Amino acid sequence: MSEQLPAPDFDAQNYARPNQNWVCGHACEGNSCRQGPDARGRCRATAECQPVLETQPGEQKGRWRCTRPGGTCESGPLPDGSCCRPIAKCSPVPTLRVWRGRATITVMAASCAMLLVLLGKPPWRNSFISPGEISRVHSGEAFVALAATNHLNQNCGACHVAGNSGTHGIVKAALHADPGFFGFHKFLAATAGEVTTIDEACVKCHVGRSFHQPNAAAISCSFCHAEHQGKIMAATTDANCIFCHGDAAKMVAARAGNNLTPVIHHFAEDHPQFRFITDNLRDPDTLKFNHALHLMGATIPNLPGGKKLDCMFCHQSDAAGAFMKPVNFEDNCRVCHSLQFDPETPQLILPHGSAEFVSAFLRSLPRQYADLAKNSPDENGFVQQKLADLRTQFGSGEDLERRIFFSTATFGPEAQIGTLSGGTRALFPGCALCHEVKNSSSGSPEITKPVMPERWLAQAKFNHAKHANMACAQCHDAVHSKDTADILLPAKETCAACHSPRGGVVDTCATCHTYHNTLVVAR
Amino acid sequence: MKRFRRQFFLGTFALIVATLMALWLHAKFSHVLPDYAFLTGWVLFAAMLVLTFFNARKKLPFLPLGKAETWLQIHIYLGFFIVVLFLIHLDFRTPHGWFEITLAWLFALVSTSGVVGLFFSRTLPRRLATRGGEVIFEKIPALRHVLKSEAENLALGTDAKSPIIAEFYTKRLAPFFTGPRNSWLHIVESRRPLNALVAELDDLHRFANDAEREKIDKLAALVRQKDGLDYHRALQLALKLWLFVHIPLTYGLLVFTALHIVLVFGFSGGAR
Repeated sequence: MSEQLPAPDFDAQNYARPNQNWVCGHACEGNSCRQGPDARGRCRATAECQPVLETQPGEQKGRWRCTRPGGTCESGPLPDGSCCRPIAKCSPVPTLRVWRGRATITVMAASCAMLLVLLGKPPWRNSFISPGEISRVHSGEAFVALAATNHLNQNCGACHVAGNSGTHGIVKAALHADPGFFGFHKFLAATAGEVTTIDEACVKCHVGRSFHQPNAAAISCSFCHAEHQGKIMAATTDANCIFCHGDAAKMVAARAGNNLTPVIHHFAEDHPQFRFITDNLRDPDTLKFNHALHLMGATIPNLPGGKKLDCMFCHQSDAAGAFMKPVNFEDNCRVCHSLQFDPETPQLILPHGSAEFVSAFLRSLPRQYADLAKNSPDENGFVQQKLADLRTQFGSGEDLERRIFFSTATFGPEAQIGTLSGGTRALFPGCALCHEVKNSSSGSPEITKPVMPERWLAQAKFNHAKHANMACAQCHDAVHSKDTADILLPAKETCAACHSPRGGVVDTCATCHTYHNTLVVAR
Repeated sequence: MKRFRRQFFLGTFALIVATLMALWLHAKFSHVLPDYAFLTGWVLFAAMLVLTFFNARKKLPFLPLGKAETWLQIHIYLGFFIVVLFLIHLDFRTPHGWFEITLAWLFALVSTSGVVGLFFSRTLPRRLATRGGEVIFEKIPALRHVLKSEAENLALGTDAKSPIIAEFYTKRLAPFFTGPRNSWLHIVESRRPLNALVAELDDLHRFANDAEREKIDKLAALVRQKDGLDYHRALQLALKLWLFVHIPLTYGLLVFTALHIVLVFGFSGGAR
């Protein structure tokens, strides 16, 4: 490569060398030497010139000639051939470029050192590289205990193989990942929600992922349950549900032939009406109960204490407040329907719960009356009198039994007395007023056991406590229901009045629905 | 100027189009492709390497890699676009965890220092040209030494014989000529220190004879030259110092990014 010549006005004595890494230590005085420092920052100053030995023809020793740029000096070279004007050595100064290079190397070295230190110690490594706090269910004491039971690592290694090992293991896991570093075709071919390798870690505890429908497509756990988002795992959003339920291509095929709404996006918009309404479902219970009569009827007496019968008397919330406790005879019916059959002897009360017990009780009436008259001087006379009165009123014992089981006509005492007294009536119409009573094959009366479902819409979530500021009648149209078969649940429109964007109350899918079957259990 | 404007409008137009396209692609594919973050991550990393290569390109002038000016334009506009890519890669969320937060901060510092550097390189040379003079940064110490020597000769030289000037020089001007002064005030374009010093020199006129006044005027001229030199030094230093943040942190960012890639693949869904 040919060397370029300097420009005519180039001052070789005062060359700044801005592209070099070191500057002459005398530069700040304007006296930088001609040579300048070498590449490693060492001063190369020697003397102002390097004399040249010139030997004339016939001479043996020759003469040293000064070669100083800019003209020879007065004294000339010394006899030994060295320059008489040595240049004082300097301490070359690094340029900004060198300092910048040093800063770059320092930052890189500091970064590497910091990363090596943090990655080298497992507790530091885990907390440093974690992309966010683990949810409480996957990091709390219960999880640690469960992980120990399942022989799992209790840290990152519980889910990530790389979490079990050090830096070397992380690199190894990265190199063996599938898709790998450059698996671009797989990145592009992957479909949302597809099961990934890391899902295997989930099923170690969540045995056999169970889906809400047997034909639901397999979906990655992390598609709905994003970890590393904080103490509480991020809530599943409508987007997760709509991913399938909003996709006509998936749902039309999945729901072909079952008459279910294929595509659903929002509760208030395209969510179907509840099926108990569309299918005209009826309550199959054989108990005869008239809500309208009990709530609005003029013949319904007040409760003990003078309070009017209302919904809350029979329908009381459970301990959690979410649902109502089952209605039962003892707590909710007996206060009015006290099963007193003898108007003259209201102390005698029929047993409730078994037709056989009632029959046995009636057949032991002499004994019952005798027990009542135990302290009376004429016990036998009292019993005979009572039995005679019953015969007069009802006929034979068989007639009495049939009337008690099958009659719907009211009889019994007009008002309760004794310890049962509360000012309410205890008219006893017979079991058939409320129950379905049939003759069994043996001829004895048989009462069909009432079956009251504890919950309707069992797949949906509901919490009465959250609706405590609403009147019962806003959702349950009981005042117009005369038939037990009426299912007194609200229609979708009633719910959507509040649970919709217009109503302002949360209307996500997960508000009412759960995805997994309840069969999902932790090992 | 016309060429610069053309470059500016072309670059800005390309930046806007690329940004809109990136946002459109994000809206279209971010919820469809489960490995979308991997793709945006690689694009982001590739863009980072291209940006970093600009520094290497300046060190390899002998290779036919295109003009440094073209590389600078690419560096500037790609530098702005990479911020959009970064936000897309984050899915417009804030990062979580110490490592990711550190990585995000490094990116933010590199980007911010780049914007500051662009601002400096667009404004400071114009200010230097307006102030006048053309000084090579590396020669400033030598020029300052010359000015100091001249001022010393004027104030303390053998033919001075002026105790007023000598005293003033010793107390006020010697520290001024010794090294760079008022760098921050020069950056903010303040001439208050110069005006104060010149005003003090003017005040000396009242106590000086004609010969001394002539020297005072010469000293005032040297003070103005030294102030101009300090101005050049301050602004040229600012033009160089922002790179002390931008370049080292860029390489620090690359170190963290390399580890980020390893961690992502090591702990991702495909690495069980």
